[in-house]
Amino acid sequence: MKLFDPHIHMTSRTTDDYQAMAAAGIAAIVEPAFWVGQPRTHVGTFEDYFLSLLGWERFRANQFGIRHYCTLAMNPREANDPALVDGVLALLPRYLEKDGVVAVGEIGYDDMTPAEDKVFAAQLELAKQHALPALIHLPHRDKKRGCERTLALVKDVGFAPELTIVDHNTEETLPMTLDSGCWAGHSIYPQTKMDEPRMVALVKQYGAEKILVNSAADWGVSDPLKVPKTRDAMRAAGIADATLAKIFWHNPVAFFAQSGRLDDIEAALAVDQRQLHEGNSVLRGQTPRVD
Amino acid sequence: MTIAAALAAAVPGLDLTAPFEAAFASASRRFGKAPIGAAHVAAIRAAGLVIPDDLGQDECARGAMLVAAAPSVELVRDLVRRGDVRERQAVLRVLAALPEPARFVDLAVDACRTNVEDVFRAIACDNAFPAAHFPDAAFYQMVLKALFTGAPLARVYRLRERTTDELVRMVRAYASERRAAGRAVPEDAKLVAGDP
Repeated sequence: MKLFDPHIHMTSRTTDDYQAMAAAGIAAIVEPAFWVGQPRTHVGTFEDYFLSLLGWERFRANQFGIRHYCTLAMNPREANDPALVDGVLALLPRYLEKDGVVAVGEIGYDDMTPAEDKVFAAQLELAKQHALPALIHLPHRDKKRGCERTLALVKDVGFAPELTIVDHNTEETLPMTLDSGCWAGHSIYPQTKMDEPRMVALVKQYGAEKILVNSAADWGVSDPLKVPKTRDAMRAAGIADATLAKIFWHNPVAFFAQSGRLDDIEAALAVDQRQLHEGNSVLRGQTPRVD
Repeated sequence: MTIAAALAAAVPGLDLTAPFEAAFASASRRFGKAPIGAAHVAAIRAAGLVIPDDLGQDECARGAMLVAAAPSVELVRDLVRRGDVRERQAVLRVLAALPEPARFVDLAVDACRTNVEDVFRAIACDNAFPAAHFPDAAFYQMVLKALFTGAPLARVYRLRERTTDELVRMVRAYASERRAAGRAVPEDAKLVAGDP
């Protein structure tokens, strides 16, 4: 069974992670642009970050047989920095047109400030203009209210719910998200957000329609194998393979295919580690793998 | 004694005439990070600045430099933006002692967005600035983040005075989310919401 991790920050991960993910069956990933752990202080750092998501990181993933797509945006936390917002929003129209960009994201709320409202709405408009889906991050604090406000804003802006993922759902937000017609992402984390047994229970209660599962692995304590581990937990709990294939492959493919930029996602990706990206190889003296 | 004098008195060898940027940056190496001790803590508190029990020599030295400099918002913003963790902590701890402190509310609210626990606690705990200057929404977000990260709510200055029905609602919603996830509700939630 091919697996898709629709939300993972590979820039922060190692080649060991890529190897383990490929070995566990992960064939495609989406890397959303997000906060990098500490605030950026220049618009130019965002531009270089976008370029690395489109360039080196995609190359790196491909070198391990994994298709890499990304979503680009000004994230909610840094949307509060007036020195950055206008400059980053001005970059987006150009970068959102690039190959491999499959949504605008992560957007949404962090502190739910007026600045976040404005940047969130502006980026939903950008998504419309570029005919892209949107990947929305639910806030960690005051989450249920944050989900209500998120869904209200999506509706007010007139953004299509079927083009929207609301991510980081919990038991309390999932019913609202599904009722709205949006797709529902779940981030399986070692301690916070969602875990495997709870995810099993949610699928048993709500089914697989519009349900997505991701690792959201990043620079913190997180696990890039949470997608295969959650699949295993569901299988052990008796959930049918057809349902698993829907949640872990067909749903994310169907959602991101709405960007028109997934290309031939179903074809296996041949690995050729003799390749270089702007003169750089992922290898350090190893024998290149060539499929 | 003024706050400036009380801070300076706690750091032997502090030279407030040295060039500012380099002296500020090197303070941890020059003065160390050891606590200034109970007598100096008491003197600084008596002078009117809310500080933690374990205020470090370097924080105290940087605080003294900053108060003496009567800095512009631009300078303070620059020190936070280009500072390491200890420098940021030091700036945040003395914001309330700077002239016209309300000028610094935006950068103080922004400091709460950090992922560095020590920096977050420098503004959220044992600091009079948030209770005095944060708008309600920012104060509530800070309290929720403290609950989330385990920063002790008992050390959030004037928490009780700033608690409203809306903050109680937010803390109860957080407790409900934790229970729905089968997880423990932090003990500190009681400090805001009684029995959440």
